Amino acid sequence: MNRDQSAVADEQPLASAEPIADPILEVDHLIMNYRTKDGPVSAVQDVSFSVGRGESLGLVGESGCGKTSIALSLMRLLPDNAEVQNGKIILDGENILDLDDEAMRQTRWDDIAMVFQGAMNSWNPVYRVGDQIREAIDLHWDVKPTVVEANARIAELFELVGLDPSMADRYPHEFSGGMKQRAVIAMALSCDPKVIIADEPTTALDVIVQEQVLEELRSIQHEFGMSIIYISHDIAVIAEITDHLGVMYAGKLVEHGETADVFARPRHPYAWLLLSSTPSVTGPKLQLSPLEGEPPNLVNPPTGCRFHPRCPFATDQCSAEEPPMEEIAPGHTVACWNHEQVPEMETSRA
Amino acid sequence: MTDTAIPPGDLVPDEDINVPEESLWRIRLRLFGSTMRKNWSIFSRNRLGVVGVLFVGFFGFLAILQPILMATVWSDQKDIYDPVVGHDSVILSKTVVPDGEVEDSLSQMSFTEAMIAGEFFPEEGMIIEVPIAPAPPNVKHFLGTDPFGRDILSQLMKSSQAAFTLGVIAAVSAVTLATLVGSVAAYYGGWIDSSLMRLADLILLLPLLPLLIVIGSFWDVGLVQLGLLIGILAGLGGTAIILKSQALSVKVKPFNDAARVAGGSNWHIISRHIIPNVLPLSFLYMMFEVTGAIFLEATLSFFGLLSIPMSWGIMINTAHTQGYTLFGLRAWWLLFPAGLSVTLFAAGFFLIGRAMDEVVNPRLRAR
Amino acid sequence: MARYLGTRLIQMFFLFIVFLTILFFLINAQPGDISQQFTANPLIPPEAKQILRARLGIDKPLGVQYLLYIKNVFMLDLGVSFDHYPRTVTSILLSALPRTVYLFLTATILAYLVGFQTGKMTAWSRGSLAEKGTMVTSIILYTVFYPWFSLLMLWFFGAALGWFPIGKFLDPQKWFDSPYTANAVFAAMLGTMFLSGLAVGLIYWGTHKWIIEPQQRTRARRILLLLFSVAVIVYWVVSPMSVYAADIAYHTVLPVTTLTLVFYAAITLLTRSSMLETMTEDYIFTARAKGVPEKAIRDRHAARNAMLPVTTSFVLAIAFVIGGGIVTESIFAWPGLGLALLSAVQTEDVPVAMGALAFIGILALFAHLIADILYAVLDPRIRVKA
Repeated sequence: MNRDQSAVADEQPLASAEPIADPILEVDHLIMNYRTKDGPVSAVQDVSFSVGRGESLGLVGESGCGKTSIALSLMRLLPDNAEVQNGKIILDGENILDLDDEAMRQTRWDDIAMVFQGAMNSWNPVYRVGDQIREAIDLHWDVKPTVVEANARIAELFELVGLDPSMADRYPHEFSGGMKQRAVIAMALSCDPKVIIADEPTTALDVIVQEQVLEELRSIQHEFGMSIIYISHDIAVIAEITDHLGVMYAGKLVEHGETADVFARPRHPYAWLLLSSTPSVTGPKLQLSPLEGEPPNLVNPPTGCRFHPRCPFATDQCSAEEPPMEEIAPGHTVACWNHEQVPEMETSRA
Repeated sequence: MTDTAIPPGDLVPDEDINVPEESLWRIRLRLFGSTMRKNWSIFSRNRLGVVGVLFVGFFGFLAILQPILMATVWSDQKDIYDPVVGHDSVILSKTVVPDGEVEDSLSQMSFTEAMIAGEFFPEEGMIIEVPIAPAPPNVKHFLGTDPFGRDILSQLMKSSQAAFTLGVIAAVSAVTLATLVGSVAAYYGGWIDSSLMRLADLILLLPLLPLLIVIGSFWDVGLVQLGLLIGILAGLGGTAIILKSQALSVKVKPFNDAARVAGGSNWHIISRHIIPNVLPLSFLYMMFEVTGAIFLEATLSFFGLLSIPMSWGIMINTAHTQGYTLFGLRAWWLLFPAGLSVTLFAAGFFLIGRAMDEVVNPRLRAR
Repeated sequence: MARYLGTRLIQMFFLFIVFLTILFFLINAQPGDISQQFTANPLIPPEAKQILRARLGIDKPLGVQYLLYIKNVFMLDLGVSFDHYPRTVTSILLSALPRTVYLFLTATILAYLVGFQTGKMTAWSRGSLAEKGTMVTSIILYTVFYPWFSLLMLWFFGAALGWFPIGKFLDPQKWFDSPYTANAVFAAMLGTMFLSGLAVGLIYWGTHKWIIEPQQRTRARRILLLLFSVAVIVYWVVSPMSVYAADIAYHTVLPVTTLTLVFYAAITLLTRSSMLETMTEDYIFTARAKGVPEKAIRDRHAARNAMLPVTTSFVLAIAFVIGGGIVTESIFAWPGLGLALLSAVQTEDVPVAMGALAFIGILALFAHLIADILYAVLDPRIRVKA
């Protein structure tokens, strides 16, 4: 968390009170389960959010909170035992859940692309990296380019992500981890998608490379006006590069707002605990308040608010009724009965 | 008086907890039992694996049945029912046809043959009763007799015994050797590893059948010798390579370092930690070894190169060398029971092996 | 790549020496020595025995014998046959070799081509009826007792249906006044096979190197392959050898089919397992995310990678195919190396038996080398150093 964010937090929040106009992506009451032999697992429970054009949204949460499930739903790459029970996913005006398989296949990568986590194995070991990118280009560009034209574009993309263009003729095993990750980004950009989903893009990388990759993503986003959805469990990463932030817990979106706002003043107990548990290197030594308990069993989720068993502010109402998403400040929504109880962050964090 | 550091929180027990005394081997037995039950439930989900068990069980039954029958039902007819030296001529009716018009020698005989049989003035269409071998199945011999008059069913059962003997010897010796070789190679690494693996490469390359053909013809090779031979050659070959990589994956687990730090000797670590973790895979490959060994023995017997009293391969060899192959279905009892037995016996172990593969290798389980 | 090849060749060489050593010990582990074959008659004076022993070189110390043996093998002097005296072992085996190679090659290539396709499609349509049917058939074919199966095939297609000749590899009556020897025709057939393989390889390599656009490349390949096929067909139609070649080919159908069927089943099962493993890899997910159509994912991504373990397995399968080849030759009276070995063993013709073993060993090593090369071609991780 750098000082730029905190400076912004001191001023009046800039977010407008109305919902985002003309969003590029709108998720509307998405409900998704996995069928398992133990019963249906409620992975995404009534999640709604929007992403504006040229904006970046971050989704944070623990493993199993549903963020990857949302990513897979957006690309309709869910495994066979997954079922979308309800909801809409509207990409640039079109509900992609209604598309047939062939239409969705053409939409993938062309309109919405993905940067995977652990790009180590995302590359087919027997083909050259450039050829694999060209495969995507040949599938989606409106006018199929010649090999020479496609390679020229690939060279441009490589330079954009900081790779030597001649590497496109090499095989994946000749790339280092960081290079592979950058190549994945290049491939994601190759068809000029409207939205990019970056699922833990830097988890497998060391810190220095992490910085570089994030820097590149941010500059690409600003240059091309692309919308990016970042998915991570690493809050530090999210803080640096997103405009908006959504906190997920057990399949539900529990807090959503501009990143600066949420960081400065988290209103949901889970978010608050999450942010309080990150020690500051430069600040004074403070008591950590760790999160007690374990993530809930999604076959039998807790009644009412799914967080209540671990919540220090829980009341009887919490176990009885699920709290709805409420706007408690302009552009900042929270799903908690007792959000008033959540204290300010320690000042040295702001 | 040193203060034992008391960790924060509730980690110090309030009072002495009673740890029940249960001997180590009891615990191991119990764990073994529960693991076996769990493995069986996974195993039995694979229907083909259960079929395999049925096949093997059937032949086990046959193998045990033979001495019982010999001792009871057939005890007074040993010279008829003995699979190797027994002999029985079953009386069969044959129709006489003119010389040169015999189409089916099992049901027809020529004039010349009739005369030899004692009928000096044969006429076409006459029916003569003649003791013959091989005889088709009848009440006395459920599967008929072979060209030498021996009871086929008895032969089948005796061959089951031979098959099990061979299979067990070959499989156990092969896998014991392969487990040892693999574990030692994985544990010590270095030149021990490379030389063992080079040896395994060479053995993989050796075409086993031709070699055994030559060996079988130079020396008298019996069941036990063959089993050991196959076992040693197989054990040092491909299986060793596979088990070694399994041992490698076990070796790098931290508990080995822990054992070594605690003062465990090399052999202790190999025998107590590495080998037990390789064993499931070893058992798996034992199944495939049996399949391979049976096929080798049957093929060698088929060529007549082994010194075994009776086996399925020998039964097929007898039928083939006496010229009954092209009779096909008309002399079905000569070829089909034996051939089917080898197939089903080997298939049984193969299917068991595949089903065990799902137990040992969770990735292969169907969702 | 060249370095990889060079290393393998040297390894092969050493392995062959070790193999020969084993053979040498096998020969000498027998009680007595080879000269006793000829001198069993007690009336032969001991001096004659001594001369014979000197002639056969057995009077020299074992170490010297060993070195002489190795040298002789490399000079292709494998001795003289006992049974077919005075033909040399080498001449017997060299005339038998092409027939075994033909059987081996045809069965292997067919089994791999068809088996791989079947295994690939079966794995992709997991759970369908076709998959279950293929699996059952494959398991049955794979576990059936091969000699018995061959006997059944011989009986059913040869005797019962009468579609194919029962054994041997040519019909002597047709060859009565042939100007060609069987081996000459065989050599021509084998030569065609090798040339075709070489040509296909060259066409693919050349077009890959010099033509960049995929559509042009595919078109060029089709044209070149067509031209080559036409050339081969014209050659054979015009050549007077074709009648005899057809006779031989007719005789190969049954033995090749029998060997191929069993091998094919094994390959199908193996490919299926390999595909199932490959299908769980991350890059398959990537391909789907990129919007690659299903068939292309199956063929370009999954199958291409599943090929690698299947090629490795070929190394293990070599012994299996050779063994199966021997049984096939025996049952169908196909006069190749296997039959030579078997009859030599039955008539105690030691030089021929040993020579046949050595030849079979060479064949196995060669096949191993080809498999290694193929694997290096298919897997860039071996070919290209990071």
